[in-house]
Amino acid sequence: MRPLRGLACLLLALGGAGSLAGQAAQVVQCARCHANRDFLLGKGATWLPDSALYVPPTILAGTVHASLRCADCHRGFEAGFPHRVSVKVVPCETCHAREGQDWTASSHAANARTAGDAPTCVTCHGSHVVLSGKDPRSPINRFSIATLCGRCHADRRIIGKYFATPANAPGSTAAQEFPKSVHGAALTRDGLVVSATCTDCHRAHKVLPASDSASSVNRANIPTTCGACHAGVTRVFNASAHGTARAAGAPDSGAWRRPVCSDCHSAHAIVRADQPQWQLGVVEECGTCHKQLYEAFLETYHGKVARLGFGLAAKCSDCHTAHNMRPASDPQSSVFAGNLAATCRQCHPGAGAQFAKYYAHPDPRARTRYPLLYWPWLLMTALLVGVMGFFAIHTGLWLVRSGVARARGEHGASKENGP
Amino acid sequence: MTPRALNAADRGAGPYLWRFSGFNRTLHALVIVSFLGLVATGLPLHFSHAGWARPLIDLFGGVAAAGMLHRICALITFGYFFAHVAYLAYQLATRPDRMRLLWGPDSMVPQLKDVRDIIQMFKWFLGMGARPQFERFSYMEKFDYWAVFWGVAIIGTSGLFLWFPTFFARFLPGWVFNIATIIHGDEALLATCFIFTIHFFNVHIRPEKFPIDTVIFTGRATTEYMQEEHPLEYDRARREGRLDARVAPAPSPAANRWSVVLGFASFGLGVVLVILVFWALLH
Repeated sequence: MRPLRGLACLLLALGGAGSLAGQAAQVVQCARCHANRDFLLGKGATWLPDSALYVPPTILAGTVHASLRCADCHRGFEAGFPHRVSVKVVPCETCHAREGQDWTASSHAANARTAGDAPTCVTCHGSHVVLSGKDPRSPINRFSIATLCGRCHADRRIIGKYFATPANAPGSTAAQEFPKSVHGAALTRDGLVVSATCTDCHRAHKVLPASDSASSVNRANIPTTCGACHAGVTRVFNASAHGTARAAGAPDSGAWRRPVCSDCHSAHAIVRADQPQWQLGVVEECGTCHKQLYEAFLETYHGKVARLGFGLAAKCSDCHTAHNMRPASDPQSSVFAGNLAATCRQCHPGAGAQFAKYYAHPDPRARTRYPLLYWPWLLMTALLVGVMGFFAIHTGLWLVRSGVARARGEHGASKENGP
Repeated sequence: MTPRALNAADRGAGPYLWRFSGFNRTLHALVIVSFLGLVATGLPLHFSHAGWARPLIDLFGGVAAAGMLHRICALITFGYFFAHVAYLAYQLATRPDRMRLLWGPDSMVPQLKDVRDIIQMFKWFLGMGARPQFERFSYMEKFDYWAVFWGVAIIGTSGLFLWFPTFFARFLPGWVFNIATIIHGDEALLATCFIFTIHFFNVHIRPEKFPIDTVIFTGRATTEYMQEEHPLEYDRARREGRLDARVAPAPSPAANRWSVVLGFASFGLGVVLVILVFWALLH
C-alpha cells in the first residue's frame, strides 16, 4: 500500500496549481488519471466523454454544475488514489432536496427500486453533462421532453408491463397520440414553448399513476392541472353545474361521475376544439351521462344532421356552452328562459321568445311530459301502421288469389265484355 | 299464341286507346323525379342511425348539398301540385261537362261504388265472388291520387315550417316545429313505404301487369288492357260511341323502349330505397 500512497501524494503535488486555481482547491487531481487514456487503457473505460471512467477536466464546463468539484459528488474520493472500485456518488437530493423527495414519492422511484427499469436522476438529466432545461441540447428541454419520456413510454415492454390496467390505459397510447395532439403539434411543428408537454401535466419528478389521489392527473386534480395554463376556462368550469357538482361531492367514478377536462378533450389526443369532427364526437361524451336527453336530441333535426356530419348543427355545447353549462333555473344559464332566445339567435337570426318554445330534445312518446307531441306522434304512427297494415293484407291476398286464378286457368273478369 | 309482351300496356289485341293526357303524364314524370329525389335525400335524415345513412348523404356531397337537393325537389313538388290545381280550376271553369270531374264514373272523388269495389275485391280474394270491374279510376288509383294530394299538402306545409322556422315563429310557438318534424318524417315514411311497395305492386308487380306497365309514360294501352283493367269505362265509351275518338297510334319503338327503361329505372331506385327503409327498421 505504501508505494501507492506515495503515487497519490505525487499526483496531489503535481496538480496543485492549474486551471482550477482560484476555485475551491481541487485536492485530488482526478484528471491525472481520468483524462489519461493511456492510463485507463484496459480498465473498462470507453473514450466517450461522460463514460464511467474517462472524465476530462472540462466535462463540467458549461453545465449547471460547472462550479462543482469532482469530490463534491464523488465524496469519499478526496483521499485520492487508490479508491474503491464501486461507484459512490452523493445522492442528488443532497442539494436538490425537494426534487429528491418528489422523485422518491413517484412511481418511477418505486419501480426503480423493485424492478430496476424506471428512470433515476441521471436517466433524464445525464450524469456529468447536466444542462439547464433552457439549453436546446438538454434532454429536458421543453422540445425534447416528449422524446425523452418516449424512450421508455413508447417501448412495448414497458407499455405491456405498466399500462395494461384500465386505469392506466391512456398511457398505453400516449407516446403515439401526443405528437399529433394540439399540444404536441404546437411544440414540434410551431415551436411554441408555452405548449404543454409530458411534465406539465404529469410533473417532472412526482410522476404518479392517475389512480393515485396524489397524482396531478388524478380525476380530482385534473381541472387544477389543466388550469395551470387554461386558467380562464377552469374558473368558468368550476362555477358551472359540472364544477359545482364536484364541490358538492358528486362521485368521481361510476356511471354518474362528474366530468373533468379529459373526459371531453381526452388526455393525449387533444385536438383543437373548433374542429367540426371533434365537436360532433363530443356530443356522444355528453350522452354517456345524459343518456335520455342525448337519445332525444338524436331524434331532432339538429341531432340527425349532426350525426350525418353537419358541423353547423346545434350540438350540446352550442346551446349549453362548452364549459359554463348551468341548470335552466340559473339566471346565468344560456338555457334560462330569459336567455333562450338569444341562444337560438346565435344560429337563427331573428329568433324570438316564440321561436325559443321549440323543444330541443323532447321525447314524443312521453305523454304526460310532452302531450303536444305525443298525440301527433301517436296519430302519425297509427296512420302509418294502419295504412301499411291494410294494404299489406290487401296485397298479400291479391297475390295469393292471382296465383290461384292462374292455376285454375281463370280468365280476367272482363273477358266476356270484349268488342 | 303470340309471346307475352314485356310491357303490360302492349299486351293483347286491339288498337291502342288513350288513357292519360300529355299534361298528366308530364306531371307524373315530375312526381317520379321529385319524389325519388326527396326520398333519397330525406331518408338518411329520418334514419340517421342506419349504417347506410352517412354514405348516402356523402354521395350527395354532405348534409348541406343533400338539403339543397331536397329543397329543389320540394320546389318541383310545389310546382306540379299548383300546376295540377290550376289545371283543375281551369277545367272546372271552362268545360261544359265539368261535373264529370267532381262526381260520377270519370271522377277521382271517392264514391259509394269504391266502397262496394273494396268489399267485392275482398270477396274475390276469398273466393266468394267475381272480381270487381272498375271505372276510369279503380279505388287503388283513387287512393294513390288522394295520398299524393294529401301528402303534398301535409308534407309540403310542414316542410315549409322547417325550411323557414324564424318566419313561422312570428305567428306560431316553437313547438310547432317539433310537431312539423314528426308529421313531415312519418308522413314521408308512409309515402315512401306505400309508393315503393303497394303502388309498385298495383301497377307493376301483380301478375296481370308484371314486370312493367308504361301506360303512365306513353299515355296509351291496348284495347285488351283497357278491357281488363277498366272494363266499365271501356263499355261506357263504346256504348256512347266515344271509342273512336280515343283510338291512339301505337307508340313508336323508341318511345316504348325509353318508357320501359325509365320505368325500370325509377322502379329499381324505389325498390332500393324501400329496402334501405326495411333495413333501418329491422336494425
